[in-house]
Amino acid sequence: MGSPLYSIPGTAPATTPVAEPTADAAAAQASPSTEARTVSEVLAQSQAGAVMDELDRDLVGLTPIKARIRDIAALLVIDKLRMNLGLQAQAPSLHMSFTGNPGTGKTTVALRMAEILFRLGYVRKGHLVAVTRDDLVGQYIGHTAPKTREVLKRAMGGVLFIDEAYYLYRPENERDYGQEAIEILLQVMENQRDDLVVILAGYKDRMDTFFRSNPGMSSRIAHHLDFPDYAPGELLRIADKLLEQHNYRFAPGARATFEEYLTARIRQPNFANARSVRNALDRARLRQASRLFADQDRRFTAEELTAIAACDIRASRVFQAAATQGPS
Amino acid sequence: MMTNPVSKITQGQFSFLPELTDAEIALQIEYGLSRGYAWSIEYTDDPHPRNTFWEMFGMPMFDLKDAAGVLTEVRNCRKGFPQHYIRLIAFDGTRGVESIAMSFIVNRPASEPGFGLIRQEAAGRTIRYTVHGYATDRPEGERGIETS
Amino acid sequence: MAIATGASNGATAITDAKRRYQAGVLKYGQMGYWEPDYVPKDTDTVCLFRITPQEGVDPVEAAAAVAGESSTATWTVVWTDRLTACDSYRAKAFRLEPVPNGPGQFFAWVAYDIILFEEGSIANMTASLIGNVFSFKPLKAARLEDIRIPAAYVKTFKGPPTGLIVERERLDKFGRPLLGATTKPKLGLSGRNYGRVIYEGLKGGLDFMKDDENINSQPFMHWRDRFLYVMDAVNKASAATGEVKGSYLNVTAATMEDMYERAEFARQLGSVVVMIDLVIGWTAIQSMSNWARRNDMILHMHRAGHGTYTRQKNHGVSFRVIAKWLRLAGVDHLHAGTAVGKLEGDPLTVQGYYNVCRDSYTRRDLPRGIFFDQDWCDIRKVMPVASGGIHAGQMHQLLDLFGDDVVLQFGGGTIGHPAGIQAGAVANRVALEAMVKARNEGHNIRIEGAEILRKAARFCGPLQQALDTWGDITFNYTPTDASDFTPTAAVAR
Ligand SMILES: Nc1ncnc2c1ncn2[C@@H]1O[C@H](COP(=O)(O)OP(=O)(O)O)[C@@H](O)[C@H]1O
Ligand SMILES: [Mg+2]
Repeated sequence: MGSPLYSIPGTAPATTPVAEPTADAAAAQASPSTEARTVSEVLAQSQAGAVMDELDRDLVGLTPIKARIRDIAALLVIDKLRMNLGLQAQAPSLHMSFTGNPGTGKTTVALRMAEILFRLGYVRKGHLVAVTRDDLVGQYIGHTAPKTREVLKRAMGGVLFIDEAYYLYRPENERDYGQEAIEILLQVMENQRDDLVVILAGYKDRMDTFFRSNPGMSSRIAHHLDFPDYAPGELLRIADKLLEQHNYRFAPGARATFEEYLTARIRQPNFANARSVRNALDRARLRQASRLFADQDRRFTAEELTAIAACDIRASRVFQAAATQGPS
Repeated sequence: MMTNPVSKITQGQFSFLPELTDAEIALQIEYGLSRGYAWSIEYTDDPHPRNTFWEMFGMPMFDLKDAAGVLTEVRNCRKGFPQHYIRLIAFDGTRGVESIAMSFIVNRPASEPGFGLIRQEAAGRTIRYTVHGYATDRPEGERGIETS
Repeated sequence: MAIATGASNGATAITDAKRRYQAGVLKYGQMGYWEPDYVPKDTDTVCLFRITPQEGVDPVEAAAAVAGESSTATWTVVWTDRLTACDSYRAKAFRLEPVPNGPGQFFAWVAYDIILFEEGSIANMTASLIGNVFSFKPLKAARLEDIRIPAAYVKTFKGPPTGLIVERERLDKFGRPLLGATTKPKLGLSGRNYGRVIYEGLKGGLDFMKDDENINSQPFMHWRDRFLYVMDAVNKASAATGEVKGSYLNVTAATMEDMYERAEFARQLGSVVVMIDLVIGWTAIQSMSNWARRNDMILHMHRAGHGTYTRQKNHGVSFRVIAKWLRLAGVDHLHAGTAVGKLEGDPLTVQGYYNVCRDSYTRRDLPRGIFFDQDWCDIRKVMPVASGGIHAGQMHQLLDLFGDDVVLQFGGGTIGHPAGIQAGAVANRVALEAMVKARNEGHNIRIEGAEILRKAARFCGPLQQALDTWGDITFNYTPTDASDFTPTAAVAR
């Protein structure tokens, strides 16, 4: 194999082929920052700084997470400089675990993380494939490996986000197919670091247990990020942002009502941080629409169409439940 | 050994070039992905020119973003079938095309025995031709295994 | 800019029936062949003529005359018109514009009702559209520039028997142009010598070899001899390479019976392709298309003779119209020019021909000479053939101009290679594969093409020899048939 000889029977052999080094191909794929020698050059070439600034701006709170991401980015930029000078050969392991309660922004941050890794040249495409156990694990023998491989192939070039990753491991059932998925994952996480980054997400305590029983997985996770619950003030600011995104705003007095609402909601079961805020606002928009709909002959102003009124929030069941239970 | 100018079967897009490296294969895969094609891997021990249906190594891969996934499977296929012909095929599902848009060989057996031409004389100086693959002289499952 | 005409005498149709059908001679405009307010129906065929009226002839009257003479009119009024729904049979010239930078020339748009043409018959359509009108005295010259064929009429044709998609599946060749060569010398080789050229070319790496247009059954080589030796070469080359190979066997002959006999023999011998010349005529072409469809045969069309009426810009029929008719009539391969070779053709205009062959829906594209949107209604696509004076050193230009769906035919560029025919074939195949590979890798072949070829030549001696021999050959003459348009003029609306 290798170079063909282009030998034509009956003719003198062609001039000895000079094999062409195939460096071309590799060069065509080179990352944008091959030549960078300073941090600002890397940041300028990659525009990763812009993504980090956006993350700061768009996401409320999450101070420790944002700091961690800057640290990781700094490490990656320096690694890039080291690689450019030949001080480091192998790409660092970048697999991560994002722990925290539902609605604390894990998926949202993972999306931004994929973008940052892409800008810095640590993944080639920068997309995020979000899955859960059902996407990876099959129902019968021989079903799991192709399913897991299929997901891995789709995620290559980007980030694989596995939500509630601990469900992959079910010690109570020793023939659970989840183990097979874990093994395939481990192999790819180790051998194809250049091809994808895996982020495992879920509740902190369950993830800790999972890592304790799966030391192989634990040892391959380079960064653990723990997402705190949002303080009520932060939730309120998240509400402002979400409304703004959809061209709504709180009418005078409504914001205070929403704060009251949050105080009650946090104490109730299944509170899910920013997600609960989002759901509450979705319902408030529905109520606003019904309220306006009743007024069939009125020409609404833009003001009226964008305002969420206190009554739209007050009608929530949360207040009734709080009233019947009484303050606890 | 085959006696054509490159001493090998010349099917596919790049048989007259030096064998593609994996990095070069990745670039071709990327080109296909960027045009929305779905890649598929096929292998055979019977490369007869009219043997259309090589074995599928898994299903065609839809919705991939990056060449690495396809290349991973190429490597798996080579591991399983080191002495087979393996080709990468790209499907284009666009209306009015709905066929194969790219096809090239990514693995060959160490020696390629080639084909013989069997002539059967018929009336009026006509001849009926059969292209016979030497590889198929051995039963299925025993081909492509090194002797000598 | 449209021509102001209403006032000029005789341009307005006479609507009063008594006056209109009074015996005598009327102007075409008065007879109703000029209808500036007419809006073509979806089922109308619309033709764009370039006309050059004789001195003193009103261009509007000339346009009306073209409409008249290509549909129902005769030189005088006939009362028998009144036995018919003649208003609908009349073709209608509905728009007239001076040709940009073409003094004395005008573009005239003429619409034809669908009832005027027999379904599935190019012979019938051409008998009307280019029947009498081109000899008509009041015109110095006329040219059919482009045609919009309505979907309703397109669907009365079966189109290419194989089409380029199915052709690729049958040949198992994808993602690159196909390679061919015409056997040379054109005339004089015996069957045995002829087969030798075929074998060498195919074994060396070409996909196709080809008979020339005037190889039929002459004293030096009768057709049966040619077919027998060629098919031995084709099969031997197929075994030597593991690829499907073909050679266009020209079945052009004096009569349909002869052509059928020859095609039948080609089929018996296992050929994948037969060939006909444009000079056999529309009826014979459609008959051979039906035959090819019945026999799983690729039908190669050599456009022999077209230059007599396509080349001059002021008179004849544009090749884009011929290409449209041939796609409907049903051929699989069509010589459509090279732009860089020895035969006539402006690059953009030639690309226009290629698009007509290969599009699912052709959009109006004035720089490429395409005046109308054309819905091809899922009719199969014709594989264009670039042939004539091209060589491996132009591979980047050819791939850049025409893309993957084309047969590149290097006749002299294969057979004239200093190290022999196989070496010539190797040079072409290596140049082609290297160029496709580089393009796919993201290289700009238009700029880096020559360098890519030089690199490939470093590992391929035969390519180096080809570049040394022909590297600098180009055929640069001013094409006579560039498209006339000014981007800001009314035509570009
Ligand atoms: N810090 C934040 N600022 C603004 N919106 C947020 C923030 N955190 C979460 N959200 C919003 O809350 C919703 C749930 O967040 P998500 O990332 O899915 O949480 P998790 O993955 O931790 O369950 C999303 O719609 C997201 O836009
Ligand atoms: Mg989530």
